[in-house]
Amino acid sequence: MSFLNSKKGIFVLGIVAGLVAVMLAASGNPKNMAICVACFIRDIAGSMKWHNAAPVQYFRPEIVGIIVGALAISIFTGEYKSTSSSVSSLMLRFAGGIAMVIGALVFLGCSTRMVLRMAAGDISAYVGLVGLALGVGTGILFLKKGYSLGKKEEIRKETGYVFPLILVILLVLSVTTTFFVASSKGPGSIHAPFMISLIGGILFGILAQRTRMCFTGSFRNLFFMKNFEMITPIFGMFLVVLVYNIATGQFKIAPYGPIAHPQTIWNILGMYVVGLAGTLLGGCPLRQLVLAGQGSIDSVSAVLGMFVGAAMAHNFKLAASAAAKATEKAPAAAGGPGINGQIAIFVCIAVLLIIGFTGIKKGKENV
Amino acid sequence: MFRKTMKVIVTFTTTSEALKMEKACRKNHIKGKLIPVPREISAGCGMAWSSEIELKDSLLKIVDENSIKINEIYEMMK
Repeated sequence: MSFLNSKKGIFVLGIVAGLVAVMLAASGNPKNMAICVACFIRDIAGSMKWHNAAPVQYFRPEIVGIIVGALAISIFTGEYKSTSSSVSSLMLRFAGGIAMVIGALVFLGCSTRMVLRMAAGDISAYVGLVGLALGVGTGILFLKKGYSLGKKEEIRKETGYVFPLILVILLVLSVTTTFFVASSKGPGSIHAPFMISLIGGILFGILAQRTRMCFTGSFRNLFFMKNFEMITPIFGMFLVVLVYNIATGQFKIAPYGPIAHPQTIWNILGMYVVGLAGTLLGGCPLRQLVLAGQGSIDSVSAVLGMFVGAAMAHNFKLAASAAAKATEKAPAAAGGPGINGQIAIFVCIAVLLIIGFTGIKKGKENV
Repeated sequence: MFRKTMKVIVTFTTTSEALKMEKACRKNHIKGKLIPVPREISAGCGMAWSSEIELKDSLLKIVDENSIKINEIYEMMK
């Protein structure tokens, strides 16, 4: 186990995580989406009819797999521990989760997908990376001012089993009943076979738990402590996907890739929200799933926020639309968020700043 | 490559306590740095303080004097 905890070890595990992403894309998931947490939460919300955007409805087994994988490996290694902070902190995390997913859906992808898009030569994803870094930088300013959402207390271990169990029951229902809807066209209709998705998700969850893979945390550590440890597995994942894309002729430097848009300001601001939210909540969308599996009720709260936020993003037309070139049947589309989404981004930033200042106040009260 | 030496690693209840530690150590000229909590210690992604083992007593004094809320103190090669 000591090798796997070393920098080389987590690099190797990052490579394996990249291979899992490649396997999911090669097995039928949207090519540069593979295992996008925000997109897949949005698809699950749609499959439960929390929103009615027909192209993005499918109960993605990968999300359940990531949580179950993290739960299983943390029980196996003795690292599972159910913890929770105060109720007021849980509510702030819920609100932060809503903001984080809205930011991601304005960019059209969470930080995981951002890296996958970067590995495909999508310039708009590199633009998003600038936003993510700025968001993490803003979050660090709050940390330096004493931001804290309070100490986590250990609680009954069974509490942490509830959320994964509910998701497993919903997953079983999704394949055994007709309660859920599934897209017949659009990204929701493009998916790997059920078992491959589930196993891929479980493997990804195990790898993400072992490596503590976190896109916002790795930037926080890089900026704050000049520490490269956490970014190592992400670099491994990026390299594998890059090599795969080059080898299969899918790497193409372009202003934007499939299901993306080149609206610079909104790509920056969308990922700025993800970076800031991830730093204030202690983890990017992927990390929140893993921590939820590991017993953190704080992260369960953030993940529930992401589900609600994803539904809001489509019901209120906040999510961006993808850009498209003109075809014989349809004119070119510039893509990006509409006015609702543009306003929502500023509301999300305001909400996160309120969370930030509340955290500074809470931090002082805890002295 | 950097040679590993025996270190004292202090973990905290919150990130803000870790930053308080950094501030107090800087003020008192105690060498060390903030690091991510080592993977061997935790599956979480918090911050820890790392100093050479000889500075352990000075660190304990800083923690005490500044009422810094710590979780654990470890000794390990880093």
